[in-house]
Amino acid sequence: MPRLWFVLSALLLAAPDLLLAAAAPSLKLQFNRDIRPIPSDKCFHSHGPNKQNQKADLRLDLREAATAKGHITPGQPEKSQILERILSDDPDEVMPPPESKLGKLSAKDAETLRQWIAQGAEYEAHWSFVPLDLGRLKGLSIDGIVSEGLSARGLKLQPQADAATLLRRLSFDLTGLPPSPAEISQFETQFARDADATVKAWINQLLARPQYGERMAVDWLDVARYADSYGFQVDREREVWPWRDWVVKAFNDNLPIDKFITWQLAGDMLPKPTQEQRLATAFNRLHQQESEGGSVEEEYRVEYVADRVQTVATAFLGLTLECARCHDHKYDPISQREYYGLFSMFQNVDEAGLYSFFTPSAPTPALFLSDEATRSKLAQLQAGVDSRQRAAMPLPQITLPRDALAIYDFNQAQKNRFPDLLHPQDPKANAQLKGANRLVPGRDGQAIAFTGDDAVDTPVGNFKRHEAFSVALVLQATQEAQRAVVLHRSRAWTDAASRGYELLIEDGRLKWSLIHFWPGNAISIRAIDPLPLNRWQEVVATYDGSSRADGLHLYLNGSLLRTEIVRDHLTRTIQGGGGDNITLGERFRDRGFKGGLIDELRVYQRDLSTTAAPDAALVEARRQLFELQDAQKEIMVMQEMATPKPAFILTRGEYDKRAAAVSATVPAVLGPLPSGSKPDRLGFARWLTSPRHPLTSRVMVNRLWNSLFGRGLVRSTEDLGSQGEKPLYPDLLDHLAAKLILSGWDMKALLREILQSRVYRQRSLGDASVMADDPENQWLARGPRLRLSAEMIRDNALAASGLLRLDMGGPPVNPPEMTEAFKPVTPSGNGGALRRSLYTRWQRTSPPPAMLAFDAPRRAVCTSRRERSDSPLQALILLNGTQYVEAARALGCELLRKHKACNEALIGEGFLRTQGRRPDAREVEICLQQYAAQLRHFSQRPSEAQALLKVGQIPAPADLPPDQAAAATMLAQLLLNHDACVVKR
Amino acid sequence: MNELQQQALFNRRDWLARAGNGLGSIALADLLCRDQAQARDSGILGSAHQAPKAKRIIYLFMSGGPSHLDLYDYKPLLNQRHGEQLPDSVRGQQRLTGMSGNQSSIPMVGSPFKFKQHGRAGGWYSEVLPHIASVGDELCVVRSMYTESINHGPGVTFFQTGSQIAGRPSMGAWLSYGLGSDNDNLPSFTVLITKGKGGQPLGAHLWGSGFLPTRHQGLLLRAAKDPVLYLGNPDGVADSSRRLMLDGLKALHEHQYSRGPDAEILSRMDHYEMAYRMQKSVPEATDLSQEPQHVLDLYGPDVKTPGSFAANCLMARRLAERGVRFIQLYHQDWDHHGGLPGALPRLARETDQPAAGLIKDLKARGLLDDTLVVWGGEFGRTNYCQGKIQANFGRDHHPRCFTAWIAGGGIKAGSQHGQTDEFGYNVAQDGLHIHDFHATLLHLMGIDHERLTYKFQGRRYRLTDVHGHVRKAILA
Repeated sequence: MPRLWFVLSALLLAAPDLLLAAAAPSLKLQFNRDIRPIPSDKCFHSHGPNKQNQKADLRLDLREAATAKGHITPGQPEKSQILERILSDDPDEVMPPPESKLGKLSAKDAETLRQWIAQGAEYEAHWSFVPLDLGRLKGLSIDGIVSEGLSARGLKLQPQADAATLLRRLSFDLTGLPPSPAEISQFETQFARDADATVKAWINQLLARPQYGERMAVDWLDVARYADSYGFQVDREREVWPWRDWVVKAFNDNLPIDKFITWQLAGDMLPKPTQEQRLATAFNRLHQQESEGGSVEEEYRVEYVADRVQTVATAFLGLTLECARCHDHKYDPISQREYYGLFSMFQNVDEAGLYSFFTPSAPTPALFLSDEATRSKLAQLQAGVDSRQRAAMPLPQITLPRDALAIYDFNQAQKNRFPDLLHPQDPKANAQLKGANRLVPGRDGQAIAFTGDDAVDTPVGNFKRHEAFSVALVLQATQEAQRAVVLHRSRAWTDAASRGYELLIEDGRLKWSLIHFWPGNAISIRAIDPLPLNRWQEVVATYDGSSRADGLHLYLNGSLLRTEIVRDHLTRTIQGGGGDNITLGERFRDRGFKGGLIDELRVYQRDLSTTAAPDAALVEARRQLFELQDAQKEIMVMQEMATPKPAFILTRGEYDKRAAAVSATVPAVLGPLPSGSKPDRLGFARWLTSPRHPLTSRVMVNRLWNSLFGRGLVRSTEDLGSQGEKPLYPDLLDHLAAKLILSGWDMKALLREILQSRVYRQRSLGDASVMADDPENQWLARGPRLRLSAEMIRDNALAASGLLRLDMGGPPVNPPEMTEAFKPVTPSGNGGALRRSLYTRWQRTSPPPAMLAFDAPRRAVCTSRRERSDSPLQALILLNGTQYVEAARALGCELLRKHKACNEALIGEGFLRTQGRRPDAREVEICLQQYAAQLRHFSQRPSEAQALLKVGQIPAPADLPPDQAAAATMLAQLLLNHDACVVKR
Repeated sequence: MNELQQQALFNRRDWLARAGNGLGSIALADLLCRDQAQARDSGILGSAHQAPKAKRIIYLFMSGGPSHLDLYDYKPLLNQRHGEQLPDSVRGQQRLTGMSGNQSSIPMVGSPFKFKQHGRAGGWYSEVLPHIASVGDELCVVRSMYTESINHGPGVTFFQTGSQIAGRPSMGAWLSYGLGSDNDNLPSFTVLITKGKGGQPLGAHLWGSGFLPTRHQGLLLRAAKDPVLYLGNPDGVADSSRRLMLDGLKALHEHQYSRGPDAEILSRMDHYEMAYRMQKSVPEATDLSQEPQHVLDLYGPDVKTPGSFAANCLMARRLAERGVRFIQLYHQDWDHHGGLPGALPRLARETDQPAAGLIKDLKARGLLDDTLVVWGGEFGRTNYCQGKIQANFGRDHHPRCFTAWIAGGGIKAGSQHGQTDEFGYNVAQDGLHIHDFHATLLHLMGIDHERLTYKFQGRRYRLTDVHGHVRKAILA
C-alpha cells in the first residue's frame, strides 16, 4: 500500500474533490452511487454478465462470485487481488489490460474502491432496477430535495426569475411559442400582486391551449423516429401524419401516460379496439423501410423488428438492449435470449421486409383512415354482402366449357405470336412468345418450353376483385421447384408486393393467390399434395368474386384439389401497379417456370367451381363495398397475427443465422409480467405500465426534465442502465416518478408540479463559481437556460413578426428552406410555408437543412435527446435564411407602421416581441444608432432598399418609404439574431 | 492551448479590460472554462495517437459499384470462357441480389476492353483509364477489397460510416471529432457531388455526424450561388450594411454579457464573426477562376463546367491546401446492370483525367506527401452477365471482391495489394474488408481506430465497430 498512499498524497494537492473523499473516510460509500460506475466502465466488459466475454471465469458484478476466490475480500483491501492488479505497473498484470484500451483506473477511483472494500464491499442492485419505494418518498418535494442537496455544497437556490423571463420560459416550455407583448404586461401586473397564484393560473391557461399538444408532440416525434418518408435509399414519401395528429390530440386530451404507452404498443390488442387505439400503433411502424431493387426481404424484416425493440427499449425502458442483439449484454443483466424473447413479441405482424416500389400502397398490416360516416357505410355494405352470401360447395369434378374469354393452344405461331382461338383475326388478342422460350411438341400439337427467364405475354386478364374468373392450363413441370411462377397478372414480386393474382409452384405445390399487398392483404390457398412431375396436367384455378379465401379453388385433371388456406384477408384492389394482363412462365426478379411446359391456356370470366348462375345483386353489392374500400386511405399499423411467428436467437444478430428457438419473454431482472398477462405486446405494455415497473415512470420523467432543463436528472436519457450516468438527485427522480404514477399518469399534473417549483422558477444565471463548476447545471443551483430548439427558433421568428399561422394538423408542408434541401422542393403556398415547424415535411434523405443545422435529428432512429450545438452555420441561417429575412421584413415594417418612427417605443416593442423583455437605455441607444446608420445607408442606395424589400413571399410594403422600411428590416434582423432571442433563460 | 488560441484569449481579456465593466474574476473564470471547451472542439484526441503520415483525405467515391473486371482486374480467363456458366464451385454460397438471384442461367462475360501494363510498377489498367494508368506509380491498387453489402443503400453507407444501417457518424465526421479543424474559416469536413448525375440516389446521412455533435457533419458545398446554405447576404444587403448590423449585434452582445456573464454569449459572438469571415473564405476557396491554364489542363476540359467531377477535383485540391481535413467527392452512375460496354467508358471519361490530374497537381505542390487520395465504389460487379448474354450486356452487384486505390501520404506508391481468383469472383489473397480499410486510413491519419470512440446508448462506438486491422503491407 505505501506506493498507493504516495500517489494519493501527490494527487491530493491537485484535486480538491479527492480531498473531500479522503478527509471523510468514515463516510459510508454506496455501491450504486459511488462504486458501480467504476467497474461498470472498466471491468464488467470482461468480468460482467456476458458469458461469451467472461475472462478468467470471473464475475465482478455479483458479490458471491467476486468474493469466492479472494478477488475481493470484504473488509480487507490488502487481501483483495483486484486492487493489486489495478495498481500494478506490470503490463502483464495490470487490469484492465493495456490491449483492452480502456485505460488505467484513476488513483481516485482506485482509492474509492479500496475504501469500499474496507467498509465491507457491500453490493446493491442497480438503482434503476429497484422499484420505487413509495412509502419512503412521502413528504418529499422538488424544492426540499434540491435545497438540501445544495446546502450540502454550501449553495442555495437563486432568487426567482423576473416576471417577463419567467413567462417566456413557461410559454416556450408549454406551447413552444413566445408570449405576446400584451401577455407579458398582463402577467407582470398580476405577478407583482401574487407571484405564486399568477404562475399557477398561467400554467393552467397555457396547458389548456392547443399549442401545448404541438409542443409536446415534437419531443415524442423524435423518440418515435417520425418521418414523412420511408428512409434508406429509395426514401419514398409515405402518409403517416394522421398518427402525428393523434399524438398532438393525445397530449391535448391529457391522455394518461400509461394509456398513451399501451395504445401505441398494443392498441390493436385491446378488447374491441377503437380506430384511435389502432391508429396509435403506427408508432411501431415508423422505422425506416426499404424498397431498393434486389434487397433481401428477410434481412430488412429483421431490421424492422430490431428497430422496434431498440425504440421501445430506449423510449420506455431507458436501456440499451441493442447490445444484446449479438451477445449477452456486457454491462446490464440482459441476455441475448431475453433480447430475442422481446424480439418475438414485436414481429407478429403480417408484414413484408420491403415496401412496394411499383405501387404506392401502405405496407401491411394497414388501417383504413375512414371517418365515422364512412365506417358505418362500410359496415352497412358489408352486412348487405353477408346477407346475400351463401356458402356454396365447390363442384368435386369439372370439365372445361368452351365459353372462355380467351383460348391459346400455341399451335399456330406467326413470328412468335399466337392467336386467341376465340378471336383469331384480332392481332390485339395475340399472345406473344419472348426471349429464348422454345416451341416443342406438346400434349396436343405444340407446347412452350420455358427458360424461366423469359415470358409469354397475353392481352387478357385484368379482372376486378368483385368479378368471378378462372384460368385453366395444360402444363407439365419437369423439376422439383421450391418456387416457380407459372402464371400471373402483376408487375413484380416484392417490388410490387405481388399486386394482382398469381399461380405459383411453391415447395412443389400449386398455390393460387389474389393479392393487394403480400402478405398482409391477400387471399391465398395451397395444394396439400405436390404436383406430379413429368406428366401433362390440367390445372384450373377458380375465383368467385367474394374477396375471400374460401372463394378460391384449384382443380387437377378435373378433380377438386385438397388445399389449405395460406392467407384470408383481402380488402383492397388487385388491379394497378402495372403488368395488367396474364403472363406465363416468368416474372421480374422472381423465379420463373424453368424447364416447365405449357400446352394450353384458357381464361374464363366466371367461377368454374360452380354451375349456379351468378347472383347479380350480390355482385353489385360486392362491387359497391369493394369500391368504397378501395377509396379509403390507409396507414401502417400493428395487427397481431393469430399465430405468432416462430422466433430464434440470431447468431451475431444476422438474419440468416438462426440458432435456438426462443419464446416471448420480458427481461427477468425487471420483474415478471403482471398476473393474467400473456407474453405478447399487450402483456408487455401492461408490464411496462404496472406501478411496480422500476423504469417506465423514471424514464418518462427524466426525458421531460431534459426537455425543460436541457439536461435530464440522468444525463443519458436513453440509458438508465449501469453504463448510464448515476443521478445526482435520485430522490428527485423517484419522487416525480412516484407522483406520475400516483396521479394516474397525469402529464399535465406532472408539469404543474415541476413548473411551480422554486427550482424551475429561479434565475438561470448563478454565481460565477456555480457557472464554472457546473456548466451543465447538474446541481440545479440555477434555473434552466438553453438554446431554443430548431422548431422554437423558427416558430418564434414567425410569431414575433406576426407571420405565424396556427392551423393544426394535416399533411406536411414545405417552408422556404426546402428549396435548399438536398432534394429541393418548392415552398408550400396558401400560408403553408408559415405554419409551425412541427408540420414541416420530414424526408429522411433530405431533411429541412436549417432545422438540421439547429440540431433537429434526422429521425432515422429513436432519439431521446437532442444535441444543442452552436455554430457559424446557424448564424448564417438567421442572418440570410429567406424565411428569417422575411420575418425581419414583416416585423420591421409592422413596428414602423405602428410607431410611425423609430423611437424608444418601437424598440421596446421589438424587444418584447423577439425576446420577451424590455430593453435598457444602452440597448435602446444601440438600436437607435443602428436604425439611423442603416437609414443613411439605404437612403443613399435606394435600389438596395427595393431589393431587400422583395425577399420572400410576402409583398413589399407600399405604404412605407423604402429606405425606412429597409432600415427597420435591418433593425429587426438585429433583434432576431440577438442571443436573448434564441436562448431560453 | 496553441498560439492562436492564446492570442484569442489575450484579445478577449484585453477587450474586457477596455470594456471596463468590472467583470474581473467572474468573466475570467468563464473565459478560461470556455477556452478549455474550445480546445476540446479542436479535436477530442488533442494530439494524434501516433505520428500521422497524412493530414487530410480526399475520397473520390465512385457510387454505383464500378466494374473491377473492366477497369483494373484483368481476367483473360473470362474472355476465353465467355458465355459458359459460372461453375458452382466458384460461386459457392455467395448470396445474390434479388435482381439476378432468380436467374435460371448465369453465363460469364469477358471484358470488352483491352488491358495493358503501365509504369515501373507494371500494374494492369483497362484502356478506358489512360490517365489513371499514367499515374500508376503513385498508387497502391488494392484488388482484394470485399464487403457484405449486396445493394447500394447499405453498401455506400457501410463505406461511409462503417455500418450498413444508416445512422452512424461518417468517416469525415469521426476525423473532425477526433482531430478537429486546421482552418478556422472553413469546416473540417466538406462534401462535393458531381452535378446533374443520375443513378443510385445519395442521402445526407452519408456525410452525417450520427450521434456525434452535429458540427462534425459534412458540409455539402453546392455548385450553386451559395456553396454553403445561406452563405450570401440577401438581395439588397450590401457588405457594408451587413457589417453595420453585425457591429450593432456585437455591441448588444457585449452589453448583454456585461449584465449577465454567460459564456454562451461569447460563443455566439464568435460564431457571428466566423460566419462573416466564411462569407469571404468559402467563395475564395471555391473560386476556380484564378487557376492558371496549365493547372486547368491537368484536370481536363470538363473543369470549366461548375459541378463537374473535374471542377470538384480541382476544388478538392484548393480545400486541401486550406486545411480541410476530409474532402468527400461523389460521382454517381456506375451501376451498370445493362449497357456496360457503352456506359462504362463514358463514366471513365468523366473521372479518369480529373482523378489523375488531382494526383499530379497535389504532387507538384508537395501536397501528395501528406494527403491521401482514395478512389473506390461500394462493391464490384459480377463476372457473369445480368439477364441474357448479349453485346450490350451488364453486370450485377458483387461484394466478394473489387478494386480500390489509395495514393499519397504513407502509402506504398506503385504497389499492388491482394489478388482475386482467375474468375475475378473471389479474393484469392490478402482480402481487405471495409473495416480494415477504415482502420488503415485512420492509422495513416495518426489514429488508433480502437481508441477513437464515442459513448452512445451505453456503448462505445467507433468507425470500425468491433472489427478492423491495420494493413501494414500497404504502408510505405
